[in-house]
Amino acid sequence: MWGVPSVNDLGPVIVTGISDGAVYAICALGLVLTYKTSGVFNFAHGAVAAASAYVFYQFRDRDHMPWGLAAVLALLVVGVIGGLLLERMSYALAEAPTVMRVVATVGLLVGLDSLLTAIYGASTIAFKNFLPQSPTRVGGVNIAASDFITLALAIVATVGLYLFFKRSRLGVAMQAVVDDPDLLSMQGISPVVVRRLAWTIGSCFASVSGMLLAPEIGINVSYLILLIIVAYGAAAIGLFSNLPLTFAGGIIIGVGINVLGQELSGSHSIAILSLAPNLPFLVLFAVMLFVPSRLLIEQGVRRVRRLRPMPTFKPQTVGVSMAGFALLAIIVPLVAPAYDINDYTAGLAFAVLFMSLALLTWTSGQISLCQMAFAAVGASTFGHALAAGFPWLLALLVAGLIAMPMGALVAIPAIRLSGIYLAIATFGFGILVERLFFTSFLMFGNQYAIRTPRPHLLGLNLTGDKGYYYVTLSLTALCCVLVLLVRRSRLGRLLRGLADSPTALAAHGANTTITRVFVFCISAFLAGIGGALLAGVTQSGSEATYDFSVSLAMIAVLAFCWRLPILSPFIAAFLYQVLQVYPFFRDATVLKYDGVAFGILAIGVAVWPGLGSIRSSGRAQERDQRGSPVLARSAPVHREKVLT
Amino acid sequence: MNVAMPDLTVDRVTVRFGGLVAVDDVSLHAPAGTITGLIGPNGAGKTTTFNACTGLVSASSGSVRLGEESLNHRGPATRASRGLGRTFQRMELFDSMTVKENVALGPESLFSSRHPWGQLFSPRRETRNIEERARAAMELCEIAELSRRIAGDLSTGQRRLVELARAVASPFRFLLLDEPSSGLDVHETERFGEILVAFVAETGMGILLVEHDMSLVSSVCSTIYVLDFGRLIFYGSTAETLASDVVQAAYLGSEGTGGDHAHVAGSAHA
Repeated sequence: MWGVPSVNDLGPVIVTGISDGAVYAICALGLVLTYKTSGVFNFAHGAVAAASAYVFYQFRDRDHMPWGLAAVLALLVVGVIGGLLLERMSYALAEAPTVMRVVATVGLLVGLDSLLTAIYGASTIAFKNFLPQSPTRVGGVNIAASDFITLALAIVATVGLYLFFKRSRLGVAMQAVVDDPDLLSMQGISPVVVRRLAWTIGSCFASVSGMLLAPEIGINVSYLILLIIVAYGAAAIGLFSNLPLTFAGGIIIGVGINVLGQELSGSHSIAILSLAPNLPFLVLFAVMLFVPSRLLIEQGVRRVRRLRPMPTFKPQTVGVSMAGFALLAIIVPLVAPAYDINDYTAGLAFAVLFMSLALLTWTSGQISLCQMAFAAVGASTFGHALAAGFPWLLALLVAGLIAMPMGALVAIPAIRLSGIYLAIATFGFGILVERLFFTSFLMFGNQYAIRTPRPHLLGLNLTGDKGYYYVTLSLTALCCVLVLLVRRSRLGRLLRGLADSPTALAAHGANTTITRVFVFCISAFLAGIGGALLAGVTQSGSEATYDFSVSLAMIAVLAFCWRLPILSPFIAAFLYQVLQVYPFFRDATVLKYDGVAFGILAIGVAVWPGLGSIRSSGRAQERDQRGSPVLARSAPVHREKVLT
Repeated sequence: MNVAMPDLTVDRVTVRFGGLVAVDDVSLHAPAGTITGLIGPNGAGKTTTFNACTGLVSASSGSVRLGEESLNHRGPATRASRGLGRTFQRMELFDSMTVKENVALGPESLFSSRHPWGQLFSPRRETRNIEERARAAMELCEIAELSRRIAGDLSTGQRRLVELARAVASPFRFLLLDEPSSGLDVHETERFGEILVAFVAETGMGILLVEHDMSLVSSVCSTIYVLDFGRLIFYGSTAETLASDVVQAAYLGSEGTGGDHAHVAGSAHA
């Protein structure tokens, strides 16, 4: 669509790249705008774009409206109304901790993905061009009219936004609203109006990019979400705040993908061939690894309140509950239908995966959106080790150990960055691993799967469903013990301290770099074990099982299962994996919309302080008491009082 | 006094944030065994000076020494492990933990950095030492009855005491206290001053105190340094400082103080 390849040179490829890059730039500008003005990084930005493409398709192709009217309606429904709804959500998240902001937007992404798939199906819908395609010859290269239009749109959007921020009072106000809306209202500017405007513009940009991308790749929610994630790379070049750099980032990435794709097309190496499409993720990860952390300023954290501490229980209560729970788990295969046992076994494997995530997120306050990448490394290593003749238990241990260096690698951005940038880095890392390595010989290979047979242990044949269930149950229990040991150790106390106040921990002499490396390694170890156990359920680890979207769904589900280190992972695993064995939840409609329910619940927990997520901390009280330093400095009366 | 404690010396430290000079060529000397005051209006650069001392911000120039040891180019954790402890103006407590856990995690953090695997294993001897330190610090700060309470649930005044107890429990050799009496009532502040004086007398440790409450400053500090707009405008004994026209002018915000800066700061350096 974007260019008309003609001669054997880079001209047409660059034109195509600029046009693609313009779409990425429009999308990234919307993302940066809303983040700058609200402090909420919208992981669902791509889902908003996809929703717009579907609404456009609905009005134009199904309801047979003229494309112009259909586009305006899509812009109105998704861009304007969607933007206003997102503003409400961001307002509710204004004082939420970073992890809850991530949970809310990831919940929205999971919910919208599920909703669009439920309504329109998972297969790609072909979508005809709507912009004029007539070519114009410029400097020996044919350029389609649609390319000019797209580029013009991106330039107008960038220049308009840049001037708006630099020159207009409202633009300046938009940047101030994230830090101190009360101060803004004292200047006679409504913070509500400012926020609504920002989110409406941001969502309209996402909406436009979704509509522009649809003819190129067809209408498919997963593809659209993934393609919009390319815009993250552009936003990273703009350091998530600079609009002209973000525009340049979009163009650079668009051109880079196309030129690299052309130049490397002759290679026989899958790794080299996959470099071009993965350029945005490489750029994103490089920015997170190498750009000085002082340039990546987290927006909107000045007013953040803390998570409400979880209640503590008496040891007797915990002991009795765990014994009852263990008894229940032991009798499951004896009472459940034989065809359901594998679902329960998968549930146990997911409990280990959720434990790995809970240790990171709830115990140490680190955010990971790439747990399934660790799990995939564990599963594939497990398969390779078994194929190499390792004893089953040793292969499982190796699976966990090999995942640990990956955890240490992810800990690098965790050491440098925190909060939202760590979430973005792990998100990009998860996708990068999936796209670069899943099909390589190191992992699942070009068959997309690897054999992971079940064990014979202590002379017992445990290859049956019941036998493997008990193997998994025993190993899950060992993982529980490991987590409890970690929590009760010095490391556990340091991790809890890290979650509450890394500054205080460092100021008292703890090396928080080592703490972060340890927790990521332990979490990766657990995820590797969980991934290997999961592969044993089907006796064939398949790359589809470890899709990055599962990592996102996991954090959404874990969010509404409380924040307890052991119980919450089991509840989350039950809801995510086991619930479907019960007749009501087997219903096709229920299965279709389960992601919607997960998304709504995650958003609910994140935005609703009454559900126990957010507390007014002593720090917030202190801030309220002290008032604004700006006001205090200009108040001589106050100075006189403190001196006398 | 148990062991010889070091002085803190800040020598011509400047901190810049882009074009803004937050701390401008500030020098001060806080001896061991005394409480030295650092005062000034809001935004004068007091907390930034603390941050430069503890490595939370990088000084553009100048040096910080604890005793004879230079702390330049070292991170916050290393400076803490050398013995420089602090509390925070915006309190940094472990809100989800109990008071006892908060206080104990101070020394435990320091012990954890003593060897590479120190974060994984805690020798029984160290554990006993930490428990004893936490108990003594809570008693000193009179918060023993709060030991099982969650820190995030406490009042601001109680939280201040918990933060002080955590710093006191850690094996630091010099303490920087940033507005420790903020949130305390008159009676609590008075008692707080008594605790500080007793602690210094018992341990021989030096304290640099940032404080707005002049009744506390005047009752516990032997020497006071005064900052305004990032510059040192005066230093002297408590009586001299309170009587100084320059200090009065800075606090009351009257015109004309800027012209005196060079002269007074120069005498401060002399």
